[in-house]
Amino acid sequence: MGLRNASEDLSSEMEVDAFRRLFPLRYLERHLAESIRPDGRPLVKARETSIFLGAVASANGSALVKIGSTTMLTAIKMEVMTPSLESPDEGCLAIDFHMPPICSPIVRPGRPAEASPVVSKQLSDTISSSKMIDLKELSLVSGKAAWMAYLDIYCLDADGALFDAALLSAVAALSHLQIPAVAVNDDGKIVLVSDEDGQKQAQEPVNKEKRKLTLRSIPFSLTCILHKNYILADPTAEEESIMETHVTIVLDTSGQLISLYKPGGSVLAYTSAVQDCVALTRQRVKELKSFLDKENSAMEIE
Amino acid sequence: MAGKSGATPATYSPSLTTSDKKKKPPLFNEDWVRPDGRAFQQCRPAFFRTGAVNAASGSAYAEFGNTKVIVSVFGPRESKKAMMYSDIGRLNCNVSFTTFATPVRGQGSDHKEYSAMLHKALEGAIILETFPKTTVDVFALVLESSGSELPVIISCASLALADAGIMMYDLVASVSVSCFSKNLVIDPISEEENNQDGSLMITCMPSRYEITQLTVTGEWSTPKINEGMQLCLDACGKLAKIMRSCLKEAASDSQE
Repeated sequence: MGLRNASEDLSSEMEVDAFRRLFPLRYLERHLAESIRPDGRPLVKARETSIFLGAVASANGSALVKIGSTTMLTAIKMEVMTPSLESPDEGCLAIDFHMPPICSPIVRPGRPAEASPVVSKQLSDTISSSKMIDLKELSLVSGKAAWMAYLDIYCLDADGALFDAALLSAVAALSHLQIPAVAVNDDGKIVLVSDEDGQKQAQEPVNKEKRKLTLRSIPFSLTCILHKNYILADPTAEEESIMETHVTIVLDTSGQLISLYKPGGSVLAYTSAVQDCVALTRQRVKELKSFLDKENSAMEIE
Repeated sequence: MAGKSGATPATYSPSLTTSDKKKKPPLFNEDWVRPDGRAFQQCRPAFFRTGAVNAASGSAYAEFGNTKVIVSVFGPRESKKAMMYSDIGRLNCNVSFTTFATPVRGQGSDHKEYSAMLHKALEGAIILETFPKTTVDVFALVLESSGSELPVIISCASLALADAGIMMYDLVASVSVSCFSKNLVIDPISEEENNQDGSLMITCMPSRYEITQLTVTGEWSTPKINEGMQLCLDACGKLAKIMRSCLKEAASDSQE
């Protein structure tokens, strides 16, 4: 940013920067009064979003998602477990959200970021309550073996709206997931079947060919910041640090509300503000769904 | 046993069928071909990019075959409160792996040994006097690992330091070789590293022809060590050229 204006008068540039650091709220409000945000976006516009499927070669499903600078890398690894007695024909999905020290100046090694367990929990709640995947599809041998899907999300660059990016990368990785073909061997263990020698062995195939999970309704989310007079969609880290009241709304592809999360904050959310946020999320969900569909159909052509 | 571990049931990743496993590890003899088809003295194609993480003061992404690493540099910033006063700057390094970095899912914890090695490899190249009383943090995350992680981390870290504008005497490049009885194999992948007789890693500042770190493990004869060192130094020189061109590219891009 600084480099672009290098030829212009440096002193005025310095003043703006100083003003930005000394009076962050006033700096932002001056922008908002002009209906524009410091990064040049209109108030309700989300940042540029990109999805890249299959980013991790060694995983069964993976996705790299960028919303503005916020970057998330998700990989799913499938392992075999013995299902619990209560649900003998159900597999399991374990979601973990990691914030390694590379992603932000506030995370230090050995001291996990406060946000990471919060986002982890929010993600597992959202995905399980959206009924997006049927855990019965992860069953292999009733009562004996089932899939344990480890879904690990790594935040590579933290610049606001972490939950939105993490959820998008999680559902993208789930849509990319391919369950490997496996069989039961003589010891009762599950082994992989490779395409060439699958036929000639006397093993009992449990999952004959690679398959994808059926995703019923996909949840997508949008985080908005509430200010006295304005609503800002998809905040950056700077905006989040200045105004602390945010609302995260999760809708599924059929437009059904899955979760609404407003963890306190100094601004009260009136019905009208919440309705506005839901309307914004509805638009955003359409946009995100088309991004994901486009990526998935591109994968199928290959 | 399964009933006891309700929250985190014991899991295993399904291995290939037993018939596949019986294929013996390749014998590393004269007419042996490397698993990825490279010549013995050929490195994997290297890719570098700076500015991978916007939240950091400087960062770099490196990709050697399937080994993928991101390094972020933060600071110079305030040292920890418990630190004593220091005339010169401090360097703090940390290396961690993702849970999906290895073929079998791991814990994704910090790698203490690599953190210490990274610190030692960079220490000599950074002009610590330029940031007294403060600390520069160098954090690395291995996204995927398929051999020779440490040399890749070190080279990537020096690029990230340059991107952050931390003063250094020279870029630091690092390359390792594996020894198989008579043969030397450069930039080994995991499969080769697991079967090697010995390994040698050099970290150097190529334009000054100075070595910041040298590790030799396993069985080596003196002439082999000399040969291996020469091989690594040549490769480091070439690697530094690639790194330099990456920095130049980034600088000319930002000027436009």
